[in-house]
Amino acid sequence: MIFSAELLIQTLLSGLMVGVLYALMALGITFIYSIVKTINWAMGEFYMIGSYIQFVAVHFLLGPNWWWLAAILAASGTFLLGLVLEPILIKPMYARPLQRRDDYATVVTIALLLLLRNLAVALGGPNQYRPESTLPVVWVGPLPQEGARVAASIFAVLALGSFWLVIKKTWVGLALRAAAQNRVAVQTAGVDVFRLDAIAFAIGVALAGFAGALLAPLFMVFPTNGAVTTVKGFEIIVIGGLGSIPGALIGGLLLGLVESLGAAFISSPYQNVYGFLLVILVLILRPNGLFGERGREA
Amino acid sequence: MRRGGFAGGALLVSMLWGLGQASAQEPIVFGVITPLSPPGETALGQLAKRGAELGAEYINEKGGVLGRKVALSVHDSAGKNEQAVAAYRRLVSSEKAVAVFGFIHSGANIAVNEVAKEMGVPTMGTQTGASDVTAKRYDIAFRTHAVDPPRAATWLGWIKKNNWKRVSVLAETTDYGIGLAKETEKQNKDKNLGLEIQTIMFDRTTTDLLPQLLQVKAFKPDAIVNVGVGQPLDLMITQAHTVGLLPGTAMVTSYDAPARPQFWQLHGDKGVGVSFIAFYSPKSELSEVGKEFAKRYQAKFNEPPVYAALNGFANALVFAAAIEQAKSTDPKAMIKALEEGSFTGWSTTPVTFPRAEGALWHNWSPPLMVLSYSAKDQTPATATVGYVLGE
Repeated sequence: MIFSAELLIQTLLSGLMVGVLYALMALGITFIYSIVKTINWAMGEFYMIGSYIQFVAVHFLLGPNWWWLAAILAASGTFLLGLVLEPILIKPMYARPLQRRDDYATVVTIALLLLLRNLAVALGGPNQYRPESTLPVVWVGPLPQEGARVAASIFAVLALGSFWLVIKKTWVGLALRAAAQNRVAVQTAGVDVFRLDAIAFAIGVALAGFAGALLAPLFMVFPTNGAVTTVKGFEIIVIGGLGSIPGALIGGLLLGLVESLGAAFISSPYQNVYGFLLVILVLILRPNGLFGERGREA
Repeated sequence: MRRGGFAGGALLVSMLWGLGQASAQEPIVFGVITPLSPPGETALGQLAKRGAELGAEYINEKGGVLGRKVALSVHDSAGKNEQAVAAYRRLVSSEKAVAVFGFIHSGANIAVNEVAKEMGVPTMGTQTGASDVTAKRYDIAFRTHAVDPPRAATWLGWIKKNNWKRVSVLAETTDYGIGLAKETEKQNKDKNLGLEIQTIMFDRTTTDLLPQLLQVKAFKPDAIVNVGVGQPLDLMITQAHTVGLLPGTAMVTSYDAPARPQFWQLHGDKGVGVSFIAFYSPKSELSEVGKEFAKRYQAKFNEPPVYAALNGFANALVFAAAIEQAKSTDPKAMIKALEEGSFTGWSTTPVTFPRAEGALWHNWSPPLMVLSYSAKDQTPATATVGYVLGE
């Protein structure tokens, strides 16, 4: 392995940038969990749907200069899909007195994963596609980066910021936070908690769809492109703490850094292993994650 | 009572005879195990499937095999070993397939061969390059594709022809990638080529090759050998552009992925300057059946055939011819016919499967060359021939 100060800085920057994108993916998973108390195993498929919407919008409808509008369309499309799917698939978990809610949610979301993935193969074929991007290469310090990746990172930060504002400064955000803490108390206060569930689920999958759309020019569009991002998302929420929004951001950055530095300066084939080592380390030292708290349930 | 018994017996005999007749009319099943969904190399899988289907159609038009029709049973491996093995078991146990081909991923082919050596039905690697597909010298294992040594020799010959000295090999951690990386280093040493080689392996599920490519850039290579299959191959081209390695540094991909029709949609201008190992050029001479296939393929799919399709077609023809020679679908008789016979494929070179040493065991190798794209939207027919192995 070659080592130099410049290479180190380049690798650090590369890791941070990919980490922001990982964080966006993890945020959706952790947010849905914090409100709906459900792990959505089909999260990667919403990422995939977002990437397909981006490709169709850019390639057939809008053209590459309107990529940002396509990304908003992708987020909106996945949001609407989430709003439609949640009452059908997730709500029955609460509407009926099921004894094993986690099992129900796992089975339902894995079934959804398989359905969406096969639907993508049937509709789009197994081939890879790439939405055109006219964004030029940008220098981030000493690191040349695809324009699409820089844009994706900036949009990811903006999305994270907007998300934080909505959660902290709006009535819906207040209700969502309250539901995350105590569903029964929120229901007692007259809030329609099932509607909140649908909104939370839709926001979570929209974040994934947005990530898929932003990353489509880099990581391409194909039926299983969400699989790896789902794995990364789950690694991050274990690192950052399930249900913690700052944890998703810090976890994403840490994972990006560990993978990039390990691949560049230790041994490249084990790039994915470094992330798992970090997960194991966190589980040993802080079993609830860096920002996780012991769960409370009413 | 006795008359009734006689009538019943006659009915039973006639039913059994009828069943026998029906059995004689049953088609001979050829299994195709190929990647049709990701993470497999789906483009090649589709091409191999197209070729195999046209092959079965061609055989049936010519009267079938031993008077019976040929039926294809296509299974998706998704490039996964376990899925390929399950497909092979099902093909042989339930569907009574007598031959299995269509393999694109070496790992899947190697895994299937481990089961096939017990179950007995021969396999044929359509586009699997790792040595171990045939180097284990299993009776059932056949292949019509370039193995690691000639493939590495081709890009090393191309590199030497251009007087390049520093070479980066980026290879995925699969049987295919590891084998080719090792073979490149071995030949550099054995042939005293004097190249300075940087080898970097990567996990094929990675979504970011930037850390590896920054290392490559720091090495300042004259040429890069891209040993990724499917998505990593394309990711490497994209990200090599980003870090400024392309188009200034030569890059050769380890197989003919850039011959896929989707290549220019995926890469646009960034595809210019990319070179690739090819096993067939539309300028290559075809056999008579090869010409017939090319004509049919063009008519059906409105594009010229590429190598994976040609090989899928030829695999079906070779197995059909072996059955005719053996006059049986018994696996052992078929294997003997394959070993002793000489068959017509798509190329003018006869297809044979000698009991040779190492990876050349039961292996027929196509011609190998390096093709280069110098302008956007080029096809293999208009690409520059940069090097031909053996010339």
